[in-house]
Amino acid sequence: MSTRTGAAQRPNGSTQGKICQFKLVLLGESAVGKSSLVLRFVKGQFHEYQESTIGAAFLTQTVCLDDTTVKFEIWDTAGQERYHSLAPMYYRGAQAAIVVYDITNQDTFGRAKTWVKELQRQASPTIVIALAGNKQDLANKRMVEYEEAQTYADENGLLFIETSAKTAMNVNDIFLAIVDELDENVEVPGPNSNKLSKFSLLNKTVGVLSKALFAKIVFPISINRKDSIISCDPSL
Amino acid sequence: MTIGLLNHPEMHFGAITFFAKQHKEDMCGSNGLPLTPNSIIIYGRAQMLKAIKSPYLCQYLDIIRGKHERTIVVSQYCGTPLSNIVENQDQSIDEIKHIVYQILQGLNELHTRNIVHRNLSTENILCQDNNVKLFNYGLYHLTDNGKLVSFPIIQLLYAAPEIYLDGIQHNHTNPKVDIWAVGMILAELVLHKRFWSTLKLGHRIRKVLSLLQSNTSVFERIAREHNCYEDYMKVPEDIKEIIEICLNINVDQRPTCGELLQKGVFNQQKTDKISEKKSLCEPFEIFTIHEFYHWWQLAGGDIFQELKKQGLIRSSPPILSLPQLVLIEGGLLGQDRNPATLFDPRIVEMPLASLYQRFENIPFTAFYPLIQIKSDIISRLEPPPYDATGLPLIIKERDPEYQFHRVILLRRLLHGYPFTRELIVREAEKDIPPLLRGEIWAALLHVKGDYKSHYMKIDKYSITPTDRQIEVDIPRCHQYNELLSSTDGHQKLKRILKAWVCKNSNYVYWQGLDSLTAPFLYLNFNDEAKAFACLSAFIPKYLHKFFLKDNSAVIEEYLAKFSQLIAFHDPVLANHLYEINFYPQLFAIPWFLTLFSHVFPLYKILHLWDKVLLGNSSYSLHIGLSVLTQLRDRLLNAGFNECILLFSDLPEVDIEKSVYLSTDTFKTTPTSITAREHENCEFQERDKYDISGVTLEDLKRERYPRISANDIVSLVRSNPEKMCMVDIRNMTQYNRCSVIGSINIPFSSVSFSDNNIENIGQHSQLLKETNNKVVVVIGDEETDMELFPTFLLKCNVKKVCVLHGGFNILLSVTPTILVSHSHNI
Ligand SMILES: Nc1nc2c(ncn2[C@@H]2O[C@H](COP(=O)(O)OP(=O)(O)OP(=O)(O)O)[C@@H](O)[C@H]2O)c(=O)[nH]1
Ligand SMILES: [Mg+2]
Repeated sequence: MSTRTGAAQRPNGSTQGKICQFKLVLLGESAVGKSSLVLRFVKGQFHEYQESTIGAAFLTQTVCLDDTTVKFEIWDTAGQERYHSLAPMYYRGAQAAIVVYDITNQDTFGRAKTWVKELQRQASPTIVIALAGNKQDLANKRMVEYEEAQTYADENGLLFIETSAKTAMNVNDIFLAIVDELDENVEVPGPNSNKLSKFSLLNKTVGVLSKALFAKIVFPISINRKDSIISCDPSL
Repeated sequence: MTIGLLNHPEMHFGAITFFAKQHKEDMCGSNGLPLTPNSIIIYGRAQMLKAIKSPYLCQYLDIIRGKHERTIVVSQYCGTPLSNIVENQDQSIDEIKHIVYQILQGLNELHTRNIVHRNLSTENILCQDNNVKLFNYGLYHLTDNGKLVSFPIIQLLYAAPEIYLDGIQHNHTNPKVDIWAVGMILAELVLHKRFWSTLKLGHRIRKVLSLLQSNTSVFERIAREHNCYEDYMKVPEDIKEIIEICLNINVDQRPTCGELLQKGVFNQQKTDKISEKKSLCEPFEIFTIHEFYHWWQLAGGDIFQELKKQGLIRSSPPILSLPQLVLIEGGLLGQDRNPATLFDPRIVEMPLASLYQRFENIPFTAFYPLIQIKSDIISRLEPPPYDATGLPLIIKERDPEYQFHRVILLRRLLHGYPFTRELIVREAEKDIPPLLRGEIWAALLHVKGDYKSHYMKIDKYSITPTDRQIEVDIPRCHQYNELLSSTDGHQKLKRILKAWVCKNSNYVYWQGLDSLTAPFLYLNFNDEAKAFACLSAFIPKYLHKFFLKDNSAVIEEYLAKFSQLIAFHDPVLANHLYEINFYPQLFAIPWFLTLFSHVFPLYKILHLWDKVLLGNSSYSLHIGLSVLTQLRDRLLNAGFNECILLFSDLPEVDIEKSVYLSTDTFKTTPTSITAREHENCEFQERDKYDISGVTLEDLKRERYPRISANDIVSLVRSNPEKMCMVDIRNMTQYNRCSVIGSINIPFSSVSFSDNNIENIGQHSQLLKETNNKVVVVIGDEETDMELFPTFLLKCNVKKVCVLHGGFNILLSVTPTILVSHSHNI
């Protein structure tokens, strides 16, 4: 079923140029919203009572960008420090990583920095790292300043964006920014092969985004891991 | 005759219903999560009421949630309200004393539990043949002192003046408000008058407040107001005194229930009651109203339908509740207050006829099953047991007669626990009646003794570094369940987890421990200590060392064993998964670390664990296998990505099928196949013929399991036809000495170049059709012990394993299972 290379069929039947496949891993302290970001990106949903992740979960999502089909293979890892020893298994060979923290909790930002360091030391040297300050919808409880994170990201050559899995803000953007960055790094030199600064890359992505959304192929994956949907209101 | 037992005056119940206050749209708590609906908070708070058992209180039976925050409270309801007999002139002073004494007993029971009634009135005191029970006494408590509902909880006439003075929004948790109410009720009873019954609301309140101005006795003043001064004068002094001290304006001077019960007025009642108290242990009841209610529901009783029938639940077209004007900011104008948000005092008694009818033919003896010894004569006289064998579990659990028999029997056995434990196990092997699951599980886990004080002594409150993790995990743990998502549920889970961490200093909190605790809490919601005791007994038995700070060796070993078990039973699948690099590390950690409690919804876990608790710590490997078996076709046709996606989002797994499959493989797998170094030796004794000393490295490399000499010996002796032993040493050695019934395929005679079973020559047919025999490869140091079994596995031969320790270990077995073929040559 899964083809690593070759031409993909567009819904309208016309064949299309290029397929890229990216392995992407999400890292970050527990409860910062890693699973929620993935769920938002892959299924467009948000579950308030998202179950905690044990070990790791794997999901995929395919998007079409211009004439390229991009398939994300996403490893969503467990955040608790104890599961740390499993992490290399997932980031090994990953082309990209999203390191997530919760903007309402300073400790999670510290943890994010540790992850970045570890990735820079141990992961593939070409890995693209994006820093996501999640729970932006709770900005009134903010404990990590935007500028602080931006400065840190600039110093370390990371993509940076604040997201909200709850409101969907910037969620697609961060994934697509990664694609662009990967395009720059490894894949075929596109029309914009001159290297842009990270920041402008992000801005550019927003333009691409609307196109991307139209052409999005959503895989039929159901996320309700427990059979019963979370419900507080049993039918009468 | 049977109906006589069921049709007991106490076995009646009814329901009331009200709406919890609705949160405004879009409200969020400080953690960004939506606020817990008030009806769920109520649901959690009300649970403890179900555990209160007293002859003076109607038992709470159930809380049901409906749409739009509707809450239904089901409770025992027997007798008629005291208000019906207040004006009855025949009521003697002694009878009145008897009534008040019982009211005080009921209140005392509540007050010792820090529950304030706050709602006492002659309407919710029920009398039946001189027995008095309070009804609906928990409303104030379960609504968190009225905060969770939009109507006031107050009985105008009986409310103490301080309630009015402080404003009814104020939380009165001082039990003295109830004492005032008792005073009023007693006054009504002795004067045979319902006070101010014709007055309007406002007037009544004014009357109560006017009592504050009274310079003389409050009671006297009330009597004069009602033109019963003569009756007042006739009231015995000791009763008068009681009324006076209860109706004391000064809260602090009012006596407590305990003090009142000590008064000389009640001497007669006290001596009457003493005889009851003396028994050493609680008398055994063959069933209680809880069971009765459960059977009623199974027999088709539906609280909701009854409330509808009686008009307590009515749906009105939504258009009627539309506001007339909606402001852009979201404000609503011109919306009538929905009368349903007010308190509806009606009580609906539940009809029991259909249950009586259903149970009509149950013989009397069925209520008293004999459990230990039954003589032939008796068993011949007895009707045959109710037969439900062969029915699916789901049906059995909903069959009223079957559950009747099971509950009666198991209640009896549980009463005799721990001495009846073996009988409980035997019954649990058939099935576990859901109503008694919590207790049965505790019995299976050997929970006994003073677990309560044990739990009480553990520190559950000090701040620890683990707190953050526990706090972020709890609101994500089985939150579709009402109990676990309630505020009380969160607090209880937190305490249990903290207690566990505190108590097990050699272990640490791993994410997933929350899910593991959830089933125990769910089943023992009113007995936190027992939930903790169950968890504490469960982990050493089934998850020994899994929660070590560094548990990697333990988990790795478990996962390696899992791979081997798959290979043992399903080589085709194992080979496929191996080829696509689909390792259990990638998907099975949450399965085993939480024994599937993080993977399945609660109702499935319960059925799964019913069996887990009867097995040993290897059983969950078999559950894992059964899950793969159910998805087998899809897995075989899928590549890595599709396979892993299947498990990120575990599709429909039929639990009954899983239970069936795993029980089957569990029984047919020699125990040493799943034996592990890290097993808890407390539950698993070992000797030199068992497997030990296998390094993790070896274990991970070997794709097939090892089998112990012990297992070989017992198989050879008891089930030789289920064995196919392949001796791969050279022919000379084989002929000199070998296991009875083994065949010889010298290692050196086989080419392993391709995976073709024909390569083994004359015996290939035998291995092609092993008919589910256990294929044991027997070698020694001189033969390569890995190539051959790996080859068999690759050729999809089932049940391949290797004798641990090699041939020589069998030499010292007595009596021997070896023979010599040398004379044949
Ligand atoms: N308000 C708000 N809440 C969020 C957001 N993203 C996630 N959450 C909530 O935060 C909690 C944790 O989210 P998860 O997605 O489970 O976090 P995680 O990082 O996967 O956690 P682990 O699996 O334990 O590592 C959940 O209750 C989510 O509902 C967000 O953008 N805004
Ligand atoms: Mg997660």
